[in-house]
Amino acid sequence: MKDLITKERIFNHPIEKVWNAITNATEISTWFLQADFKAEKGYQYTFISTKKECSPIEGEVKKADPYTLVYSWIVKEAPVETTVKWILEEIEGGTKLYLEHSGISNYKGETAIEMFSSFTNGWDHCISGLFDYLKQTIHAQ
Amino acid sequence: MHNNITTILKAIADPTRREIFHALVISATALPITQISDQFEISRQGITKHLKTLENAGLIRINTNGRERYCYADTHPLKEVNQWLKTYEEFWDDTLDNLNTYLDKS
Repeated sequence: MKDLITKERIFNHPIEKVWNAITNATEISTWFLQADFKAEKGYQYTFISTKKECSPIEGEVKKADPYTLVYSWIVKEAPVETTVKWILEEIEGGTKLYLEHSGISNYKGETAIEMFSSFTNGWDHCISGLFDYLKQTIHAQ
Repeated sequence: MHNNITTILKAIADPTRREIFHALVISATALPITQISDQFEISRQGITKHLKTLENAGLIRINTNGRERYCYADTHPLKEVNQWLKTYEEFWDDTLDNLNTYLDKS
């Protein structure tokens, strides 16, 4: 068992486009969560779900140099600091994304359970709201 | 449950403790400490120390019955840690799927 979640993805898009999608507040608000965000070190950001019952995410931008983005990730309902790191790498025909979410063991067990239930009851549909949005946009096209 | 996930992860990070825990899980019943220490080539004190660590992490329970102390495994803390990590894994998978869809259409 590990105290780290890592993900790797390849996108068939230029690195600049992917970087903008993860650092620009308007873009983040479109595909992820409603964002008050600036890719500047020290910026106190907030991600808010459009649904009231979903806890906001808050944190501070630790690093934002192309193409590395690091911010603390604090779920307001369960205020424990974890860290999310995005690293982009230019590859032939696209971009490789490396995502790392660390510090999860900072959660106390009971907090973990709360988080878990908050995710199962709330987060699934906080995120599925985005799918609805994307579907609408796709149908509109 | 009041255990820090770190406590749980540390408790099972040690190979001997993992073996002790495993032995208790597969026995599916309470085992006396004397029987556990017979299975391992370490001192009774060493075993007791390991059991204490596992107990503190909520991974085992120790009951006294007469002069013997019995241990049994409790896998709930592990399930909770695992389930929680799994949920976050899925959260990031969904998020990156969204990002991919967004990039494709924009």
